[in-house]
Amino acid sequence: MGMMEKLDLQTDLAREYLTFRLGDEEYGIDILKVQEIRGYENPTRIANASHFLKGVVNLRGTIVPIVDLRLRFGCASAEYNAFTVSIVLHIGHRTIGTVVDSVSDVMEIPAESVRPAPEMHSAIDAGFIRGLAQVGERMVILLDIEGLLMSPDMGLAD
Amino acid sequence: MAEMNTDNSQSAGIDLSQFYQVFFEEAGENLDNMEQLLLGLDITQADDEELNAIFRCAHSIKGGAATFGFSDVAELTHQMETLLDKLRRHELAPNASMVDVLLASGDALKAQLARHQGNGGDAIDTTELLFNVRALVAGEAPVAIAAAPVVAAQPAAPVAAAPAAKGKRLVELRVGPLSNLAQADELRDLFKEIEGLGTIEDLPSLPDQANTRRFKLETASAESDLLDLFTFHVSREEVVFLPWSEGGVQVDPDKGLFEGGAAAAHEEPGYGFFDNAPGAPTVRAVAVSAASAEGVPAASSAAAKPAAKADKPAAGGLESSTIRVSVEKVDQLINLVGELVITQAMLAQNSRGLDPVLYQQLVSGLTDLDRNTRDLQEAVMSIRMIPMSTVFSRFPRMLRDLANKLGKKVELVMQGESTELDKGLVEKITDPLTHLVRNSCDHGVEMPADRIAKGKPEVGTITLAASHQGGSIVIEVRDDGRGLNREKLISKAREKGIDAPDTMSDSDCWNLIFAPGFSTADEVTDVSGRGVGMDVVKRNITSLGGTVEIDSAEGYGMRVSVRLPLTLAIMDGMSVGVGEEVYILPLSSVVESFQVNEEMVKTIGGSGRVVEVREEYMPVIELEKVFGVPRFDWEHTSGIMVVVEAEGGRVALLVDELLGQQQVVVKNLESNYRKVNDVSGATIMGDGRVALILDVGSLVRRSRH
Repeated sequence: MGMMEKLDLQTDLAREYLTFRLGDEEYGIDILKVQEIRGYENPTRIANASHFLKGVVNLRGTIVPIVDLRLRFGCASAEYNAFTVSIVLHIGHRTIGTVVDSVSDVMEIPAESVRPAPEMHSAIDAGFIRGLAQVGERMVILLDIEGLLMSPDMGLAD
Repeated sequence: MAEMNTDNSQSAGIDLSQFYQVFFEEAGENLDNMEQLLLGLDITQADDEELNAIFRCAHSIKGGAATFGFSDVAELTHQMETLLDKLRRHELAPNASMVDVLLASGDALKAQLARHQGNGGDAIDTTELLFNVRALVAGEAPVAIAAAPVVAAQPAAPVAAAPAAKGKRLVELRVGPLSNLAQADELRDLFKEIEGLGTIEDLPSLPDQANTRRFKLETASAESDLLDLFTFHVSREEVVFLPWSEGGVQVDPDKGLFEGGAAAAHEEPGYGFFDNAPGAPTVRAVAVSAASAEGVPAASSAAAKPAAKADKPAAGGLESSTIRVSVEKVDQLINLVGELVITQAMLAQNSRGLDPVLYQQLVSGLTDLDRNTRDLQEAVMSIRMIPMSTVFSRFPRMLRDLANKLGKKVELVMQGESTELDKGLVEKITDPLTHLVRNSCDHGVEMPADRIAKGKPEVGTITLAASHQGGSIVIEVRDDGRGLNREKLISKAREKGIDAPDTMSDSDCWNLIFAPGFSTADEVTDVSGRGVGMDVVKRNITSLGGTVEIDSAEGYGMRVSVRLPLTLAIMDGMSVGVGEEVYILPLSSVVESFQVNEEMVKTIGGSGRVVEVREEYMPVIELEKVFGVPRFDWEHTSGIMVVVEAEGGRVALLVDELLGQQQVVVKNLESNYRKVNDVSGATIMGDGRVALILDVGSLVRRSRH
């Protein structure tokens, strides 16, 4: 992807995030973890897996699991249409695809505009939220995507 | 060392030459590594780790060289090792002259290796080096650090001219003229009787001196001492010692070395190095030696050759005709080709509807692409293939030790060692095969006295044979021992609570030995008989997608055939449809398939379903239920049963349809995801979609509880 090329190693102060929408919410993840963005293709179902694991797809010869983040976060609807995209992430030595409603932007979010998330109950363990960033009128939830996907309750690794 | 050499010549006549290349590659790497480490060594503060690493390099070269009979290499590395050992034990402090000598020794080793590899060059004189290394070991300063570190460049001081050297050297011994050539045989016995004297080998007699015996000696003893020994058998006048010259020009005793060398017309058949002497790469180097045999006499005639000349073959020698590539790279290549095959299959499928008249060029291009991808795939897969001999080679030694321990006499026959098998499989098949060979020796072959009593030859034969059969490789372990005893097996099985009717077929009976904890050995030896084993062997082989078959005739022997797929990366699969989904069954585990009638399926306890196939009831597994396949057409019922077999059990899988057979590239699910129950892997179908490969063993186990 072109956006990967213009990346330099970012300092912690000004990091680039890829933002995407799940329902009405906007999330941001560290762009260095993003390998590519693809259209959604029907995966091969894996029996007896968690409901948010859509299955596995063939990504140029490797078998990649696909997690629907909308199902994981309990969004009201999870439709698969022409705008549905998979963000392919490179996490550790693994490649994992995540399904989101749409990808919105690549933005630099300086550390000073990130606020801590309040302690509250939600579908996401507060530990996986790095903070909330105010970008104009929008609130972007910055996710620790690696921690989230690799957490044992995701069941993505043995 | 002398011991190793004799061991080498005795080792059941195995042709070690096939391993030379590996040794040369490894030795080359070790030498380079050692040089790097030596160069990086900080003398004032030598790091223990580094010293150990250098020591290990020298040690592995020595080990390999001694095994293959390259005694000159082994000798030099042995001395280096002694020095390095003292260094790493801090018995000596490293100094610059040690590093110099060690580096020079490394260069000499390179030259020696290059020579053994068949790149020409004459014998490398390491007398001075050895002397220097020894001096350093003794804590003295080396006499003279060679100004030119490449020792090979020193004027070829004839070995014989340095009798003071304590190291072993090669000498040509001529005894004659003798009235009775057998007299000289006594000399050979001398070498056998007296330990540490060295080794002796026959050389062909010269055509013009038929009654003169020639020997090749490798000895550390002085010539005068040898002469004293020899005079017990032959007279002093009949014994002539000549300096050993490898290239085929034997220096005439009357002439000086230089004269003899210059007389290149002094033609004699090439022997020594290019002969079948141990340490000469026989098979591999045929072409090379043929080419260089002519060049060598000329080279050795230039007794004082310039350094550059010695360097050149050394450099060329380590530049081998093979390269070592990491398995990862090869696997990446295999993956890419797998992708290409899938793309090609997709194109072929899509182009089927095209009118060949309108799209003639496209169609013929696709046909070419088809052929090329196939060839490419085959070529790429062959990179991972290594000959079975890498597995077989460990058995002669193992069997010899084992037979000695058991007091049995066993001969090992190996067939089809060049049969190639995927590297991944080779590594995994070694243990099961070791087990089978051990079993044959321990349980199969009888004690020599028993064998004679039965009218069999005293020496038992164990045969290891590998061959290709279709898409698989079959490895057989045969012995001509006592075979399996049907009654004993059955009664043992009953003891263990296994149902074993008297009417069971022979093959079922033999398969009893695969039951866990089963052993018919009357007593447990430390070799085998504990009953852990055959079940593990079977499980290991099954997990590789292979099968084991036993054939036995009591009193005549037994045969275990292991059938394995050629590679783990590709397997023959049968695709079955369940609902909208496609699953792959390993074809090797499919026994049969049939359409099912209602009345064939019975239930047990209301839920467990069984089907009767050929008078045998087997559990039915509905893939639809196991995999929770969603149904959209409620009318449809699955109507095909596929009988699969694994781990000694059979189950009938209920599927909707059989879609076909194809070769599938096996992909691993765990690399990005995790282990999925009842699934051994995944593959990519012609349309680019992923299909799961079923783990038949796990399905069979599932039916058991």
